Amino acid sequence: MIKLTIDGREVELERPVTVLEAAKRVGVTIPTLCYFEGLPNFGGCRLCLVEVERLPKLQTSCTLMASDGMVVRTETEQIRAARRAMLEFLLINHPLDCPYCDKAGECTLQDLVARYGPEAGRFAEGKRKHPESLDDPIIVRNMERCVLCTRCVRMCEDLQGAYAISVSGRGGHSLIEPFSGGRYDCEYCGNCLTVCPVGAIMSRLHRHSYRPWFVEREVETVCGYCGVGCSMVLQVREDSIVRTIPRFGLGLNNGLLCVRGRFGYDAVDGEGRLTTPLIRVEGRLEPVGWEEALAFVASRLGEIKDSHGGRAVGAIASGRCTNEDNYMLQKLMRFVIGSNNIDSAARFHYAPAEAFLESVFGQGITANLIPGIADSDGVFVTGGDPTAINPVLGLQVRAARRSGGKVIVLGPPGGLKRFVDHELVPMPYSDEVVLSAIVGGLMEAGRSSGENRAVEERLKELRLPSEEELSAAGIGPEALARAVDDLLKMTNPVVILGPEIMDGARASKRLFLVGAVAYLMNARIYLLSERPNYQGVMDMGCVPDLLPGGGPIGLEMLRDRIEAVLGLRVPEEGGLTLFEMVDEAERGGLRALYVMGEDLLFSLPDRARVQRALGRLDLLVVQDIYLTETAAMADVVLPAAAWSEKDGTFTNLERRVQLLRRGRYPRAGREDWRIIADIGGRLGMEKTYRSAEEVWEEVTHASPLHAGLGYSEIAGGGAVWPYHSEPLKGTEAGFAVQGLGELPGVEAPGGPYLMPERPLFHSGTLSRRSRALLSIHPEPYLVIPPSLSEELGVTDGGRVRVVGAKGTMVLKVRIDPDQREGTVLLSNTFEGANFAGLVGFTADPVTGCLTIEDNTVRLERVDDEAL
Amino acid sequence: MKTVHATELMEKVLLKNIESPNSTHIEEYRRVGGYRAIEKALRMPPQQIIAEVKSSGLRGRGGAGFPTGMKWDFASRDPKFPKFLICNADEGEPGTFKDRPILERNPHLLIEGMVISAHALRSERGYIYLRGEYPYAKVVLEKAIEEAYEAGFLGERILGGDFGFHLSVHQGAGAYICGEETALIESIEGKRGQPRIKPPFPVNVGAWGMPTVVNNVETLANIPFIVEIGGEEYSRIGNPDCPGPKLFSVSCCVERPGVYELPMGTPLKEIIYDHAGGIKGGGRLKAVIPGGISTPVLTPEKIDCPMDFVSLPKYGSMLGSGAVMVFDERVCMVKVCWRAMRFFEHESCGKCTPCREGTGWLRNILERMETGNGWKGDLELLRDIASSMAGKTFCPLGDGAAGVVLAFIKDFSEEFEYHIENKRCMVTG
Amino acid sequence: MKIQEEIKGYLERYPDRRGALLPALYIAQRKAGWLSQEALEAVSEALDLPKATVRGVATFYAMYRQRPMGRHLIQLCTNVACMIFGAERLVDLLKERYGLEPGGTTDDGRFSLVIMECIGACDRAPAMLVDTDFHPGLTEEKIESILEGYE
Repeated sequence: MIKLTIDGREVELERPVTVLEAAKRVGVTIPTLCYFEGLPNFGGCRLCLVEVERLPKLQTSCTLMASDGMVVRTETEQIRAARRAMLEFLLINHPLDCPYCDKAGECTLQDLVARYGPEAGRFAEGKRKHPESLDDPIIVRNMERCVLCTRCVRMCEDLQGAYAISVSGRGGHSLIEPFSGGRYDCEYCGNCLTVCPVGAIMSRLHRHSYRPWFVEREVETVCGYCGVGCSMVLQVREDSIVRTIPRFGLGLNNGLLCVRGRFGYDAVDGEGRLTTPLIRVEGRLEPVGWEEALAFVASRLGEIKDSHGGRAVGAIASGRCTNEDNYMLQKLMRFVIGSNNIDSAARFHYAPAEAFLESVFGQGITANLIPGIADSDGVFVTGGDPTAINPVLGLQVRAARRSGGKVIVLGPPGGLKRFVDHELVPMPYSDEVVLSAIVGGLMEAGRSSGENRAVEERLKELRLPSEEELSAAGIGPEALARAVDDLLKMTNPVVILGPEIMDGARASKRLFLVGAVAYLMNARIYLLSERPNYQGVMDMGCVPDLLPGGGPIGLEMLRDRIEAVLGLRVPEEGGLTLFEMVDEAERGGLRALYVMGEDLLFSLPDRARVQRALGRLDLLVVQDIYLTETAAMADVVLPAAAWSEKDGTFTNLERRVQLLRRGRYPRAGREDWRIIADIGGRLGMEKTYRSAEEVWEEVTHASPLHAGLGYSEIAGGGAVWPYHSEPLKGTEAGFAVQGLGELPGVEAPGGPYLMPERPLFHSGTLSRRSRALLSIHPEPYLVIPPSLSEELGVTDGGRVRVVGAKGTMVLKVRIDPDQREGTVLLSNTFEGANFAGLVGFTADPVTGCLTIEDNTVRLERVDDEAL
Repeated sequence: MKTVHATELMEKVLLKNIESPNSTHIEEYRRVGGYRAIEKALRMPPQQIIAEVKSSGLRGRGGAGFPTGMKWDFASRDPKFPKFLICNADEGEPGTFKDRPILERNPHLLIEGMVISAHALRSERGYIYLRGEYPYAKVVLEKAIEEAYEAGFLGERILGGDFGFHLSVHQGAGAYICGEETALIESIEGKRGQPRIKPPFPVNVGAWGMPTVVNNVETLANIPFIVEIGGEEYSRIGNPDCPGPKLFSVSCCVERPGVYELPMGTPLKEIIYDHAGGIKGGGRLKAVIPGGISTPVLTPEKIDCPMDFVSLPKYGSMLGSGAVMVFDERVCMVKVCWRAMRFFEHESCGKCTPCREGTGWLRNILERMETGNGWKGDLELLRDIASSMAGKTFCPLGDGAAGVVLAFIKDFSEEFEYHIENKRCMVTG
Repeated sequence: MKIQEEIKGYLERYPDRRGALLPALYIAQRKAGWLSQEALEAVSEALDLPKATVRGVATFYAMYRQRPMGRHLIQLCTNVACMIFGAERLVDLLKERYGLEPGGTTDDGRFSLVIMECIGACDRAPAMLVDTDFHPGLTEEKIESILEGYE
């Protein structure tokens, strides 16, 4: 026990901390500039000087460790004079442009000068001049205001791990700059903005448009971009969002955000936001009133149900919508229309992966807490780059590496490039060979515990690759052995699994093998999620075979339970998956489709086929915030409220339920759940709801998983799996896995494989509505390896024609030295230039996930004159 | 008034044989007894060498005067391995050039000292952090290192035993701050040379987080001699509180500027008048900076001061690197102060507020004064700024800068006032 | 030779790649006399270090050049001892004789002049380095004849 006195107050410490932290514990706040909790200490600004008895000089409390018997004073005349002197030094070169500076009002320097002085500076010589840099689309850099506390640099290096900026120059000529000296070309997380205590690094988005004291309300909510579910604060003025900021101590992201979360909030204010319901009249979508639109939808749905039965109606739920929205859509389909045809884009990867892993390893196998990743001593990543798909989760991997954990990546490492101990990049579609070898290595080391008999029985069937086969897959046997050695040394490992593990044939085998790696290492599994609420979509029963709460529809006990709660019947007949609905629509069996918050035409491959299928429907209802390509085909378009305009809950990839709170009122649309409930009411649904909370209230009764979990408890941050319940499902002994006994040969394709890029700056169609994100990443490009650029004679920024099985596009190329040979990448972001528009698809026979087909492409150089 | 001092009878230890045209060659070094201490040292257990160095009373010659044996002991007791041994050959303090004769003329002495030290510390990897401004020394050192490898004094299994030590030159690139040991370590690690927070000290958490000893060139050059004659014997040379031979670099207004090897504690007066030949051209002494530009200036009545770590503070200054800068009445103190401040401003690393901003501000004011644009109140302002810096900077660089100004305006205020009032120099007109 | 090749010998001296950064910057600087953005990128690639980090280090040290230099680099010390012995007059002379300003380069690209902090030759002041050659005890006459030897 350490006992010391700070300003006459006794402090007792269990373990040593700095004097600054010790003072904080007894409510003594010592002024600081360069100190920032969570960043490595620096000791440069000299503002936190304190007097310590028996030490001759003033001491910096941020670096001095508290020790037993210390007597500390934090506010004496000597100290005040020293602080005044430090501030005078800082003001020598700091412009006194506070009336013009956006930081005024929340500037630490301003506050400190107000408190300590000096009233006037005595510096009579000319100040340092550095013109404000507007070279970057997002970040304004004003180095005249910089106090060189280096919080931004430490943030960039030590927490974000981007290493995009550094101090350049020396002494009074020091500047903080990105490498280019102009544009940042970084990850644009903007976390440097959070930590800048002055107006040196600021966001350009709201430059000179508001002052901090204009903020009328602050709303704590959850980000609407990916499945991590970062907490953020919306700052609101006159019913518009001026800024989104993270807050230290709030949420699992604890003060960090990624580029999409921080800057992408304007995606809901893009051009063409739907303002009114539309109905197709003589081939054209015409504006109508809400009453007319709702009545029309209800009557058409009713007619189709009556004439063709509930099975002729389907619905697509959305990973961008809340649990309440999705629950209501599910309720409409199952309990009002009488159809189990409900699914979502979670079907592509997330839902089948989770369902498969749960069937093999038990329910909740992927429910693990994100902040725990940083504490693990080893991370195995495969199937995608977590720093792009779920950026803030990716930071946890970097943090684990920084604190000594080993990181092994199977596949291109992307943003983990600097954080990888073993980079295993196999030939395209050879991951299963490498996974088999890893599993073989772990089994050989005696890692079979016998705990899961079924798994171990199946593993006996596994055909292990020979050294030659492994080499043919692109991985040297020694490299693999070294990686396995490190895997075996991990005591607290983590396995991170991305969507790309499902790409290609035999998805079930790769999933099983990754699961087996985790099983043999006793690792926690994390399943990357591209949308904020894919987990909620599943939990709310927006899958054909699961009820709200995740109970299988075939379990009578659960059916009885929900029927009793709702007083409504669960349809007998099994439902269709998203892909089956497309098939069925094409065949004419599905007559009506209700699409909420999903652009099927854009996100599904084989556009022609999807278009044909949707075109055959008698009724296509699209509920969205923009007139998407799918909406443009619809019979009825219903404008919805966007992420920042509604209350509700999201369930993140940890299965943490979090509250989404309305920052402002919707410009024109209505909450999705409300629209659906209105339609349901017209179709005979008796229950009415006044708020999202009332919808959730019903969920807590309907879903055994969420029983007793009210908004107040969710708001407290404690809504973590398994909530108040027990896992409902055990493992299935008879699970199917394809091709365990076989190994694919590496085939030479007829051209490069086109693979999906999952970029950091975009995440599908929503992000391209954000002016901020577009300014960073404005246009589509095809990523190609240097060898291909030589072969085609095309330089960076040049154009190629990409001829795929399902389409042809002319695209700019970006040459990436790290791009895997034999592959090219295209993201699914930009209209008319998207990955899905070029390739075909089928459904995986075992897991039901999306399997991309026909994705070899032919590239031809296009000379600009020819355009 | 010339007196005979014991020092003149003492044989040179550090600058031994450097007049020989072949002094840098290993054969020549061995001919005059070099690389004998190493044989003795390698037969001694590491702890015994540390004990000898402790009993020798050797204190670090870089400026701070920390007891070398104690530093070694701390590093040696730390259980972490590998340990690093770094020679600080970054002498950049204006007025200081005392290590240069060793680096350029007696490199094998340094190498021998380092190998013995490494053995004592059980370090297998060493670096000589050589300032970028000494390109010739780099050539000499690298040649000598090559010779030492060939002769088996460096590399694996030195002299056929179990001990191995690798040594290379790490060339600095023009940053005075890298003379500060933690900044030097940062620089060796390939970083910006900014000082680190202490504790932890380098003896526990140094280069790449490992126990690291950083010793000055001259300090390490003393080691073979200590091993040869024993710590006890060594401790009898010079001042018993900080014994041993000491290199003094004497410059500016003296007849014979140069590096003098004299016992610690030799009076400043004797250095100036007996060894360096007195004031150049028979001028009158005005001021002496005794230990390099960052040490406070002394007025002529203080030159009886013995030159060692314990005596100089009693006279209001410090031994520093033992760089004696002698100014006669023809030198303008305002100009010297301005030039010194220009140096500090240029060399401030920028990490802490008072040094980064204060050195530039002080230089600005001094520059105005020097060019005849001083204002009333400037002297008070200088004092105020320097006082605001003193004791509040991250490392001694800023303290030194403040100390220079405070000492100059204390003892030569009339020159500063003359500059302000008459808009010209009191000395040069 | 590419930096990767030249740096190899240095890599084994340090426990990690970053340790070789200062030597690598010297190697890169030798190629063109200064460190362009491209040179910094090459170093960053050779050592697998972030570009911004490399730039931060390169700009900290006075002897890494951020601008193109003439064929010969004069580094003249003007610190206290050299100043007392007339270094400022030498600066003026270089300006008059060669049109060479501190920090500048002659029009013909023959010389660049950098004022350096203490060269460690206070006993032989004033002194300078021309490229890596050390020239002490300078006078106005001497400096001119020395510079004659550098084309």
